[in-house]
Amino acid sequence: MKKILIELVLTGAIIAVVWLGLSQIDWMKLLNIEPTTQTTEEKIGDLFWKMLKNTESEITSDSIVASVDSMLTRICTANSIDRKKVKLHLLRKDEINAFALPNNHLVIYSGLITSCENEAELYGVLAHELAHMEKNHVMNKLIKEIGLSVLISMSTGNGNTEIMKEALKHLSSTAYDRKLETEADLTAVDYLEKAGIDPEPFANFLYSLADETKNLPSQIYWISTHPESKERAEKIIEHIKCKNFPKVEKKDSLRFERLKEKIKQK
Amino acid sequence: MIASTNFQYQPSEHELEKASNSYVMSLIAIMGGLPLPIINLIATFVFYLGNLKGTYFVRWHCIQALLSQLFLLPFNSIGFWWTISILFTPETITSNYIAYLITIFIFNLTEFIGTIYTAIATRNGKHVEWWVIGGLTHLICKDK
Repeated sequence: MKKILIELVLTGAIIAVVWLGLSQIDWMKLLNIEPTTQTTEEKIGDLFWKMLKNTESEITSDSIVASVDSMLTRICTANSIDRKKVKLHLLRKDEINAFALPNNHLVIYSGLITSCENEAELYGVLAHELAHMEKNHVMNKLIKEIGLSVLISMSTGNGNTEIMKEALKHLSSTAYDRKLETEADLTAVDYLEKAGIDPEPFANFLYSLADETKNLPSQIYWISTHPESKERAEKIIEHIKCKNFPKVEKKDSLRFERLKEKIKQK
Repeated sequence: MIASTNFQYQPSEHELEKASNSYVMSLIAIMGGLPLPIINLIATFVFYLGNLKGTYFVRWHCIQALLSQLFLLPFNSIGFWWTISILFTPETITSNYIAYLITIFIFNLTEFIGTIYTAIATRNGKHVEWWVIGGLTHLICKDK
C-alpha cells in the first residue's frame, strides 16, 4: 500500500512538474496565437462603430478632438495602457452619455462634455470607460446577454441587423452589473491617482447627476444607465479619503471652458 | 513505468487472448471516442463487466486496463471542459492552457503506447504490470 501511495504521489508530482515547466514557455508568442475572442471582438466593435457613424454626427474638429485626446493620452500613459489601441470618437448629441464598444472604441457624446463642471470630471468618465475596456467588461456583457453564437455570426457577417441594433442599444444605454460598475469605478480612481488627477470631482459628477436624473431621465443616459450612483460616489469618496490629490488648476479650468465653448459653437 | 513479471499461474491461450483484448478495446474506444474523454472509459468498463466471471488472469488485466483509463479521466476531463470554456465563454487561450494540453497529450501518448505494448505482450504470454496501476489492481482484484 505504501509503495502504491509513493508511486501515486510521484506520478502527480511528475505531471505537475511537466505542466509547470511547459507553462514557463510563452506558447502564445511562440505559436503566434491570438485569443479568438479578440478577433471576434475586433470585427463586432468595428461593425458597431460603423452603425453608429452612419446614424450620428461625428465631431471631427481637430481642436476639439485633440483636447479630449490629450486627456485620454494622459490617463493611458500614466497607467501603461497602449493609447493606440483606444479609438476615441466624439459624437454631437445632447445626451449625457459615454460608452465603450468592443475592440476599444470609446464613444463620448458632446452633451456629456458640456455637462461636466470641470476637466477632472471628464477625466473621471474617461477613466471609468477605460476601466471597462481594460477589464474586458464590454465583451463579457455582450456574451452574457446576447450569447457567443450570435456574436460570432455577427462577426462573420451573418448577423441580423435588428439584433445588431439591439446589441448596440444595449451597450450604449444599459448598465453593467453592480459588481462590474464598482470595479470600473475603483479602477478609474486608481488610473486617476496614477495620472495625478483628483478623483473627487468624478464622485461629485456621479452625485450631482444622480440628483438631476430625477428631473431629466431621458437626457442623462450615462447616469441613468449607471444605477446606485450616489452609493458609487460614496464608495469613491471612501476609497480616496486620507489621500491628497492636486486640485483643479485655474488654467486647466479655463482650457476646459474654452473646449466646452467650441463644442457649443459648432 | 511498465514491468514484466510472472503471473501466479500459467494462463491458457484463451485467457491470453481475452486479457489482451481488454487493452485493444480501450485503444479502439480512444480512436472512436475522441474528444470525449469518457467514451474509452465506458467501453473498458463494459468489457470488464462482461468478464466479471472470467479467470483471475483475465479479470486482473481487465481491471488494469480500466484503472489506466480511470487514471487519465480527471486530467482529460479538465482539458475537455477548459477547451469548452474557451470556445463558449470569455475565457481565452493562454500559455498555461497550451502547456496543460501538451502535458495531457504526453501522458495520453505514454498511456497509448503502453497500452499497445501491453496488449501485444499479454497476447504473447507476458504478465505486464503498470507503475501505480499494477499495485492498485492487485489491491482490487483477488484470486477467488
